[in-house]
Amino acid sequence: MSRINIEITLGALLVLFTSIFIVIYGFKEPQRMQEFELHQEAQAIEVGADLFNNNCVGCHGTQGEGVPGLAPALNDRYFFDQRIKDLGWSSSLEDYIVATVSSGRVVSTRPEYVGGGAPAMPAWSEQYGGPLRVDQVRSIAAFIMNWEPTAPDRGAATPMAGPPVGTDITVELPEGNPTNGEALATSQGCTGCHVLTDTGPAWAASANELGIGDRAAQRFTQADYTGSATTPEQYLLESIVAPGEYIVPGFETVLMPATYGQSLTAQDAADIIAYMLTIK
Amino acid sequence: MIKSLDLQDLRKKLVTAVDTRVRIITAGLGLNELRAVMRGDPPTEKPNPRYKVHTTSFLFHIRPRYYEKGSTIFTHTFRLGFFTALFFFVELFTGLILMIYYTPSPDQAYNSILNLLSNVPYGKLLRDIHRLGAEAMVIFTVLHMLRTYLTGSYKKDRSFTWLTGLVLLLVTLVLSFSGYLLPWDQLAYWAVTIGTSMVEAAPLIGEQANLIARGAPDIGANGLLRFYLLHVVLLPLAAILVISVHYYKVSREHGISLPAKFEEGDVPPEVKKQAKQRIDYIPDLLTHEVFLTALGLFIVITVTAFMNYSAPLEHIANPQVTPLDTKAPWYFWWLQGMLKLGDKTLMGIIIPTILGGLLVAIPYIDRNPHRSLHKRPLAVAIGLLTVLVLVALSYMGLPQYGIKHTAAQRIMQDLAPQEGVGPLRAVPFDQLQTGVYEVSGEVPRDLCPNLDFGCPDLTAVFREFSDGVVYAATHTELESYERLPDAQAAMVIEDWQQDLKKVTLRINWTDADTGKTQKLENQYFLHRERERN
Repeated sequence: MSRINIEITLGALLVLFTSIFIVIYGFKEPQRMQEFELHQEAQAIEVGADLFNNNCVGCHGTQGEGVPGLAPALNDRYFFDQRIKDLGWSSSLEDYIVATVSSGRVVSTRPEYVGGGAPAMPAWSEQYGGPLRVDQVRSIAAFIMNWEPTAPDRGAATPMAGPPVGTDITVELPEGNPTNGEALATSQGCTGCHVLTDTGPAWAASANELGIGDRAAQRFTQADYTGSATTPEQYLLESIVAPGEYIVPGFETVLMPATYGQSLTAQDAADIIAYMLTIK
Repeated sequence: MIKSLDLQDLRKKLVTAVDTRVRIITAGLGLNELRAVMRGDPPTEKPNPRYKVHTTSFLFHIRPRYYEKGSTIFTHTFRLGFFTALFFFVELFTGLILMIYYTPSPDQAYNSILNLLSNVPYGKLLRDIHRLGAEAMVIFTVLHMLRTYLTGSYKKDRSFTWLTGLVLLLVTLVLSFSGYLLPWDQLAYWAVTIGTSMVEAAPLIGEQANLIARGAPDIGANGLLRFYLLHVVLLPLAAILVISVHYYKVSREHGISLPAKFEEGDVPPEVKKQAKQRIDYIPDLLTHEVFLTALGLFIVITVTAFMNYSAPLEHIANPQVTPLDTKAPWYFWWLQGMLKLGDKTLMGIIIPTILGGLLVAIPYIDRNPHRSLHKRPLAVAIGLLTVLVLVALSYMGLPQYGIKHTAAQRIMQDLAPQEGVGPLRAVPFDQLQTGVYEVSGEVPRDLCPNLDFGCPDLTAVFREFSDGVVYAATHTELESYERLPDAQAAMVIEDWQQDLKKVTLRINWTDADTGKTQKLENQYFLHRERERN
């Protein structure tokens, strides 16, 4: 055989093998594409978990259990079974999540949470001026949707033990219990915003700040004070139920919801204030 | 009518008619001649119809009529130029199909790659071939140039061909690099950000040139569109043009150089004469080219389809997050290495430009008329030295070299790199047993004795974590940033959601310089169905 014959034969064989390889590869394609999609979904959930951890836990809780008075539970049967029916949302729950996370909420649909006319959920998508890209919003939705199979029934919010304390700070408060106040302060989601650091929550004393008890005793006597409190107790009550009356310089951009006058009883408020005053 | 039908005559007429058609299609080769070509027989007609093809057909007109026998010896050329061209055509073909599925906008680019991988049959194969072809093209271009240099084939009337070759080297590198950005993942974004920031260092025009390349101070929609058009229109057109010039010089003007020993070596005249024997294009060179094409495609398909070669795809580009280990494509590592040695303008622009200028000037600087290796020791020494220096610089260009990460950062990055899988993310989901695993110096043989199947992979990851921490904590002779005095470390695994675990790696230590307590904590979410290899 001449070199030409050999090359033609070998070349033909190589072309044949290459074609067979391509056909064999093709048989595995549907499975490969399916697996790739599965990996993509898993990755979206992982990325979403990370984003949720960095952006959402402050108001919705580390496990999506919600923070009373601040933001509703997401890891909740009601959210998966009933929420979009109650709203009359015609598309899927996942799209509802994407829409809500993207554009936020101008007015809360559930007044027991943040709202009462104030913006509730901020917009997160960069299309609406938020910090996240569209794909990141979708990842968060994928993560939240992954709670669906296991979401517990958290029931309705527990009814309040008495009438709300209201926004009048001159009201006579009952005797407060500091221990009970501490439990309330750490369970009502206060630490979601009043961040818990290594040295304790934001109301504890730190290197450059007094404890909240001493702060309260000083603030209402300062010249720039704009509220109407005349005692430390009143100052603290005002800060909780009417936070807009006086804003400590430097905190103008982070607004505390003005709804606690409706969601706390007089006893609750008294307990929290008693606890706060013990922190010097 | 029937009577006049003569079968013999009809057959002859039919054959003649077919033969004429075939001659028109093949630009001069009849049926018998084609048969002879396929069998490797000598020409059947005179004058040799195989030469006629070269004047009547455009495609054959640009091919060589013959090469000298000596120049076709395999170990002389290794067919490097041929394979470079072959891969260029592979890139053209796969690139055209990939363009169907691609949208050059930051919002869409990454998604279009995901769509290609998850929804298009053979989509992954096409992308892998395109990527492998690009790497191969760079490799073969460089090797082809090295071969030309070592055999002294750039001399005399081949100096212009050498110049066009250098233009092609530049075009190939920029082609490959411009394609790098298109997937719009972290790898792409940061490699190109580094690349274009080098342009910025150019004296006088740097800022403007960088603006023109990126379309804005930072790479965004404009930059992506520019790189896309560069990659799919301008550079391929330039490449086709210059390849044509380069190839025409070789095929129609000076041919492939003979090995030096036949030109200036001490060999008998009949051997020299034999080396100058003509090897015709049809059929010898043509069948050889077809064979090499089949071989090349076979290797590419085998490697991409069955040897797990995968074009990388990292997370979507995020201008806010610079990955810890950012690196340029491997063929620019030498440049990254140079940048670590000195000033950006000097090392990134001026010296590479001088090097390029030297390459262009080689045929004019090198006045030595000889081509054989041992008659030009200086040129060979310089060439080999350059290769060694480039390899060394490339090593220095690696992110592992000369960049100081604190020990804690390094340990975590090695276990769970920001991009890619890494040992921690490769642990099978069922082995991720919830618990708090504290680093105490002792690593149990198996972290989860309660499991029937144990957790060897998780134990191995924990051992690596523990060893890293203990090493940095106990070796006081290390540099201060590599040490972790008084280290306390733990790995925490929590159930987070159905099919989702949260792994926290935490290291507390006292800074060796300041005496302050430091803490590094990273959290990783791992899903059951995640990619684990």
